[in-house]
Amino acid sequence: MPITYDAVKALSAQLYDWSLRRVPPDTLAGLETALASETQDGARQVLRMMLGSARKAEAEDRFVCSDAGVPVFHVTIGTAARLDGDIKAAISDGFDELVERISPPLLKHVTNPLTNERGYKGRDMPLVTWDVAGGADWVEILCQPKALGSGRWAALETFSFPSLAQIEAYVMKVVMQAGSQHCPPVIIGVGIGGSFDVAARIASKATMRAIGTTNPEPVLAAMEQRLLRAVNATGFGPMGTGGDTTALAVHVDYASGHGYTPVAVCFNCWINRRTRARIHNDGRVERME
Amino acid sequence: MRTIRFPMSREDARSLSAGDMILADGEIVITAGLPTIQRLVACADEARDPPIALDGGSLFHLGSYSQDTADGGLEILYMNPTTSTRFNPLMPRLIRHFGLTAVGGKGGLDAGCVDAMAEVGCVYLSFLGGGAPLHSAAIKAVRAVAYPDLVAHYRLVRLAVEGLGPLTVGIDTHGNSLFDTLQQQAADRMPDILARLAAERAAS
Ligand code: SF4
Repeated sequence: MPITYDAVKALSAQLYDWSLRRVPPDTLAGLETALASETQDGARQVLRMMLGSARKAEAEDRFVCSDAGVPVFHVTIGTAARLDGDIKAAISDGFDELVERISPPLLKHVTNPLTNERGYKGRDMPLVTWDVAGGADWVEILCQPKALGSGRWAALETFSFPSLAQIEAYVMKVVMQAGSQHCPPVIIGVGIGGSFDVAARIASKATMRAIGTTNPEPVLAAMEQRLLRAVNATGFGPMGTGGDTTALAVHVDYASGHGYTPVAVCFNCWINRRTRARIHNDGRVERME
Repeated sequence: MRTIRFPMSREDARSLSAGDMILADGEIVITAGLPTIQRLVACADEARDPPIALDGGSLFHLGSYSQDTADGGLEILYMNPTTSTRFNPLMPRLIRHFGLTAVGGKGGLDAGCVDAMAEVGCVYLSFLGGGAPLHSAAIKAVRAVAYPDLVAHYRLVRLAVEGLGPLTVGIDTHGNSLFDTLQQQAADRMPDILARLAAERAAS
């Protein structure tokens, strides 16, 4: 049985639905670790509320946040995957159907950027990126809904032959611009190099890496650790009302480029919505997160 | 933790300091919509009463989704704060005109709002973003819904709540804003933070 339109439609809709109702385990663990080391009372209270909210959402099958954001999918197609049907249409049809049946209902967040009118449908919605995995016999779908708080503070600047000092100073500048606004503690993704779009994509992908994993490149692993310490030294804290925990993780990745070097920085808010699954050539669905 | 009756009295508002945490009981008015805030400013400008009374009241940047119940009432399915800063230019007018005692949402408000709040005696309360299950559980009844032509989270809604919070006093009536203080504190710390990054880079 190949990977069908129906399978992709059902799975993509489900991944979005699931993502709204729980905080991923790596993120809960990150919040617990933060709670254990946080020195400020108010901040500890906010972190405890976060954990309480996440647990209540999962136990009662409720949305963690009523801002369900807009659906964003990252699809990776294995070159050995056997496809049957228009899987691109499947993703948007799946969302349309979900809007009809999901309980509680979704708010109208899909916004026309030219008129600011809101609804459930819009050009290029759901937002989807496509990638290819050499040799793989599956299609992987990752869902990471984005909302204003978690999306608004991303920024990108292009440098010429920047030093690591310049790159890190820029990351801190973007952290300062976001300040208390993005429902911290956040997960920060940094993308260095490539081209404008590639850097942005690397930064966005970096936010999807599980918290607690170590970057395989020692230079980047060290950079992630020192940037995390630097961000947490700012003192914005949980919900930006003060504390030692402004970020749960900083993840950095790069691509080679031409010497003009875009640096992209983006955030995901503390609820870190993220679900991921694969459909294999035999029709089997494997839930990964 | 102190529980405060809402709408908050001027006296209670003045008794709070930035950084305090409280619980809310009583009645609050909420909306997450810029068009809604614009309509309320128009009410102020044209000396019209808003569809839900706001005088001396508490207006929060919270979005909610309500649905009709079988007995003809309304049920809130979930509620959550939205980013307040996008209402910065409009809030001073509302705070002064309606003499609000409490506003709130997430992320704080700017210096112009802090001034208006100090003048009138109004606090800003920070709600947990991503706290929908907790906030929703504190809702006891939907008292009124106005502007039904707007999308659900933009409507103006008056709610009865019990034990809503804990909420952090982000801005008090004495001109103190946690958001400004923390932004300034982070800016003051930045030279040291960058120096430490440099030292760690050199050591790695
Ligand atoms: S930033 Fe995240 S947690 Fe905060 S309100 Fe938006 S979606 Fe919810």
